Amino acid sequence: MAQNLAELCTVLIENHIGELSAQLFATLAEHGRLTVHTLAEHAKIPLRRVRTGLADLMEEQLALHFAAEEDAPTYYSVNWRNAYNLARHTNIVDLVNDRHGELAGQMVGNILQLGHARTGDLAEAYDLMPASKRDSGVDAAADHMPENGLGNGIAKASSAKASHDMSTFEFHSTLRALLRSGVLVKVGMRAYMPPSDLQEQIEETVISDQFPDRKVTGPKKQHDFKVAINALKRKWREDDAYSDLHDAGSRGAIKRPGDHFKSENKRAKVNGGHANGLLNEGEQSTSKLSDDLVVRVDFSRCTMAMRSRRLEQHAKRFLGGVTAAVYGALLQTLEGKVRAVHDELAADMSDDDESSLPAATAAEVAEILDPAIELGASIKGLATDKTLTNGTGKKGKKPHDDFGDFGIKRELSDSEDEPTTNGYSGYRDRANRLSSIEAHLALLEEHTKRYCKRVRAHGSSEWRVDFPALTATLVEAEVDTTIQARYGKLALRVARMLRERGKLEEKQVASCAMMRIKDIRAILTELQFHGILEAQELPKDNGRQPSRTLYLWFCDTFRVQHLFLQQTYKAMARTLQRIPVERERYRTVIEKAERTDVKGREQEKLEQPEKQALREWREVEERLLSQVDRMDEMVALLRDFSGRDTSLTT
Amino acid sequence: MATLAKLSDDGDALYVKLLQVAQSSPDGLRKVFFQADIQALASESAKTLQDLMPLVQELTNHCLLRLSKLDRALCWSARPRDAAKAITLLNPDEKMIYSYVEDAHQKGIWLRELKKRTGVNPNVVQKTMPKLEGAHLVKSIKNIRAPAQKTYMLYHLVPSDDVTGGSFFDAGDLDESLIEELSNLIIFHVRMQSWADTKPKRVKREASPPVLIDDHNDSNGNAKKRKRGATADIEDAPRKYRPTGYDDHAVEIITQLSFPAYTRTYPSAEAIHAFITTTDAIRASKAAQLTVPEIQGVIDVLVWDDKLEKVGDGYRTVRGVSFKPPGYPDDEGEEEGDARFGNGLTQAPCGKCPVFDLCGEGGPVNAGSCVYWAKWLEGGG
Repeated sequence: MAQNLAELCTVLIENHIGELSAQLFATLAEHGRLTVHTLAEHAKIPLRRVRTGLADLMEEQLALHFAAEEDAPTYYSVNWRNAYNLARHTNIVDLVNDRHGELAGQMVGNILQLGHARTGDLAEAYDLMPASKRDSGVDAAADHMPENGLGNGIAKASSAKASHDMSTFEFHSTLRALLRSGVLVKVGMRAYMPPSDLQEQIEETVISDQFPDRKVTGPKKQHDFKVAINALKRKWREDDAYSDLHDAGSRGAIKRPGDHFKSENKRAKVNGGHANGLLNEGEQSTSKLSDDLVVRVDFSRCTMAMRSRRLEQHAKRFLGGVTAAVYGALLQTLEGKVRAVHDELAADMSDDDESSLPAATAAEVAEILDPAIELGASIKGLATDKTLTNGTGKKGKKPHDDFGDFGIKRELSDSEDEPTTNGYSGYRDRANRLSSIEAHLALLEEHTKRYCKRVRAHGSSEWRVDFPALTATLVEAEVDTTIQARYGKLALRVARMLRERGKLEEKQVASCAMMRIKDIRAILTELQFHGILEAQELPKDNGRQPSRTLYLWFCDTFRVQHLFLQQTYKAMARTLQRIPVERERYRTVIEKAERTDVKGREQEKLEQPEKQALREWREVEERLLSQVDRMDEMVALLRDFSGRDTSLTT
Repeated sequence: MATLAKLSDDGDALYVKLLQVAQSSPDGLRKVFFQADIQALASESAKTLQDLMPLVQELTNHCLLRLSKLDRALCWSARPRDAAKAITLLNPDEKMIYSYVEDAHQKGIWLRELKKRTGVNPNVVQKTMPKLEGAHLVKSIKNIRAPAQKTYMLYHLVPSDDVTGGSFFDAGDLDESLIEELSNLIIFHVRMQSWADTKPKRVKREASPPVLIDDHNDSNGNAKKRKRGATADIEDAPRKYRPTGYDDHAVEIITQLSFPAYTRTYPSAEAIHAFITTTDAIRASKAAQLTVPEIQGVIDVLVWDDKLEKVGDGYRTVRGVSFKPPGYPDDEGEEEGDARFGNGLTQAPCGKCPVFDLCGEGGPVNAGSCVYWAKWLEGGG
């Protein structure tokens, strides 16, 4: 099963780091955890090169390592999740671009390329360090990173890209915003340990601390043990998590005593004149981040954002763009309130599923929602008395009758000279806006798919989204799309019917689908051949003759989902493998364009047909890569959105 | 056989009474009478068992009553008079065959089963059946579950839905065009009540809601006329509803406005059934035959096809679904469908590759030798 994934990851690593690391990864993937020596043996690579390759892998967090004791041999194993995540980079950058702006996207792109980065190095790379003085005390995690080399690497990459200069302030506030939104997280020492070893260590700690007799048998003790383990896990996670307070680079005098234990090694940075110039960002933005803060991109957080985007698209299909936008804002609000798509630690805190889901109010949604969106126009009757929800004060005072009470956006709103400052000015406008949002949310709730739920029946305006159920809906929709695109509408009809009705006999299938048995039989057989449907045999007698057997057809969405996932892995690998094949066709031109005397002066040095060919090549590469991105979206949906998938745990 | 005495008046009166009761009962001629029932129905003169016995015997002899057993009690049921007359002329074998066909009632009986059960020489059965058919006593029907089997049932009975397959079968064959038109009609009907329509933004109109509703009624009426009218009109009629749900432009042209949530009752299966049976679009005899479960079946299919969605207890059309005038080709999802439907996987050549399972590095097919990629990169499809 993992073969397709291993192949894909190997290709990804080969593209990302190089052949050596890819080979090591493939060997590790095949054999499980190995020491350096056995790894060298299996891969048939000299030990010295194995060490370099492993260093590369580890730098990108593609390999995990753990030694039980000081002088015990270190075992290496692959980190499936991170390896696969290499395919997700473009999607994440896109996402960050959308939400936090181009600058943030660029920074996230750089961090993704590096795996993880020290803030100081990043700043340096962006030419923001006044005088680059390396801090003396580097915390342990940073040891794994050859800082100089990488620092220079970014400098090169970014100086080419960053056309506009970025101020220190912009840099830090963006970084901080990203940290606060959870896209970036702090990297702690424990990030490199395989989860199973981590679990063992936690258990050991708990036993030695709280169970002196080393016995954890019996129901009560077992329970206590579990609670203690989760508490410790949570504590460690919190220790590793970023917080505005602890990770702030000090601002001179204002320093709480508590700050010291976290940032002992961090030097005070003077913040220059920036502090006063920035009013709207609040006081936090004025403090610089510590240079020694090591950050990486939190993929699970990004998965959550991808899920929100997907849900929004799904809602758009059924309820239109405006309602979907409101939904998107609701989802984004909720994102801030949960830790991950599926928080296994939070799950066992409360038995009640309902209450463990986060809730948001319409006011919170209104804060995130783009004020330019015309809320009234897409619901009949809403625009009639509310007029324009993004109207300015002057408009709000006009009598309502002046406006066409037809659900059309008025032309006036564009020609109006008055600037629309921040969406709504008067209290009434705000109230209108909130009730419009509520109306949209109610629409979402009314829909069969139950996109969201009001927490209490009436009166309160808290809204909740049942993510597990909706994730299942998304998966079903994706499976359906695939079935329809491959096998046609009728096949989809049959598959959906079987999913809804359970196991059915051929004749029942035909009568439910209102089709001829002959046609149904063809569809059923085709779908069975491709693994979408399965038939259960039910012999009528002991003879078990096929002619005396009933066949009950059914569709197991879970199985189909995994089938498609594997196929997507494989298709992604093929798509990536196709790139070098295509490159071969344009090899001479590419080589010429990459010659040192041509590079940078392509316009003058290349002939017209050569330029044309180069353009074609770029187009081909672009198309292939974007296809990979789209397939990655599918993988995210089929595998990651529920957060319950265990196929990637190491 | 002709020696059978003429039916007595008392017997006749009893028979007429039984026939009336049977016909007015929901079971029809299938209605069985137990001894007590007959006793209650019989006239004053024949209240006692002794009086009743000869009467019933007489009717049975005349084949006007059929004797059967239910829960170990004897019971009788009435036969139509003309059938009875014909039966009296039959020989014992034929009578036996007839009684088995009669027992099968609305379900009908398979010829082979008949031969087996009666124990009569198969050849005789084979010969008897055309004779019975000729006498309008039995008829041959087509069983939808077993179309190849020759099935017989009494001449005056209407085959049950189990046998015919229900309203959507026409002489044992699935009436696909009926289903299609019915689906279309349902979409049309539900669509009218699902979304408020507007014209695209650039059209500046001072129309007020009442006008909008008029608009609806108007087109509703039109459509009904259209249904009745010649097809030529339909061709000329402008396409009023364009599918818009799928457009992904930055500026969305809103032509379908949602009604505020929880303010509207969308048509339920019963309401749709009521509409279908009262509209003139469907032949009256057919419309009378349609049942709510059948309509529900069509609705279910429409839901699976993503045309309708359930809201509360009712249904509304999925956004962007439009009524398609009769005779319009079903062009959705064919050529343009590839761009609209599908996902990253199915749009890549691998997603539809027939030899995907064989594909592998060093295998007979691989990423380098693949012909589909070349085509895909070239033609973009």
